[in-house]
Amino acid sequence: MRKIDEQDILQRFQRPETKRAAFEEMVGAYSRQLYWQIHHLLQNHDDTDDVLQNTFIKAWRGIDGFKGDAALSTWLYRIAYNESITWLKQRRQMASIDDEDFVEQANFAADDYFDGDETEELLMQAVSTLPAKQRQVFCMKYFEDKKYEEISSLVGTSVGALKASYHIAVEKITNFLQLKE
Amino acid sequence: MSTKNNRILNPEGGRYPFKVSDEYFDNLTARIMAKVDEAEQAEGTNTNASPEKGAKLISINDSSRNRNKRWLSIVSIAATLALVVTVALKFIPWTGSTTQPTDELVAEYTVDDDYNEALMTYTMADNMDVYCYLESGDDMGAEDAY
Repeated sequence: MRKIDEQDILQRFQRPETKRAAFEEMVGAYSRQLYWQIHHLLQNHDDTDDVLQNTFIKAWRGIDGFKGDAALSTWLYRIAYNESITWLKQRRQMASIDDEDFVEQANFAADDYFDGDETEELLMQAVSTLPAKQRQVFCMKYFEDKKYEEISSLVGTSVGALKASYHIAVEKITNFLQLKE
Repeated sequence: MSTKNNRILNPEGGRYPFKVSDEYFDNLTARIMAKVDEAEQAEGTNTNASPEKGAKLISINDSSRNRNKRWLSIVSIAATLALVVTVALKFIPWTGSTTQPTDELVAEYTVDDDYNEALMTYTMADNMDVYCYLESGDDMGAEDAY
């Protein structure tokens, strides 16, 4: 990830003549990280691409209201998370499924972007059964090896709650894998 | 946890088994900025949209329409009040006719007490009979009571 000077970016957002260039710099710096964060929730390239674009369009519309109370990455992460949840809800509605806890049967083997073996596919199937928040926390911790403090600043949840969430996610995945044996 | 599960769920973490070409990320910023511009242009077009030549502009916030609406409501309230007053006036004479004879009766019977005393003695009527008579009001004339 490219490092950017947030204070500088925020100042440039204030001036109309530098706003677009500053935004472009921010997109360049955070798009890759956000792509994977959205992908953890949606687990599909095309959906992730659409939601990522929506995220930045929302960010552009809301940039004048962003006063720098939180880090830029946190602000963007929250928009991305909300957009992903909205997307998941719409997908559920389109499939006429009312059950909030419904889990789609993911077929990763047929996904061109899937790059794993059978055991990894099984693991991803287990991950796809988790609720959105647990899935996000599990992926950040397990696949990205992020520190709890780092995840906490991104998602705005306490470290204790994140640890509990990760522990429950691991338990659920273990149970899923045991049933599949 | 079984050995197979141990192999799958590594305590050290694992690799996220998805890949995206570098080309995708290389073009991503440009594509996103194009989308942002597109969205902004679409918004600008919507907000600055001008009507076609000759098209009739209908505003949903037209002040003259609001003025007409106000007049309409005032007129309808006035008509309702007029109706209520007319109906009420119709009943006023009827209400008056029920109270007037009673007052007259009271006056009649209080004016000449001596006559009443004599009449009561002659007819052997007691107070209860008098009250019944008075209560009967219009429904029963003096002829009927005696």
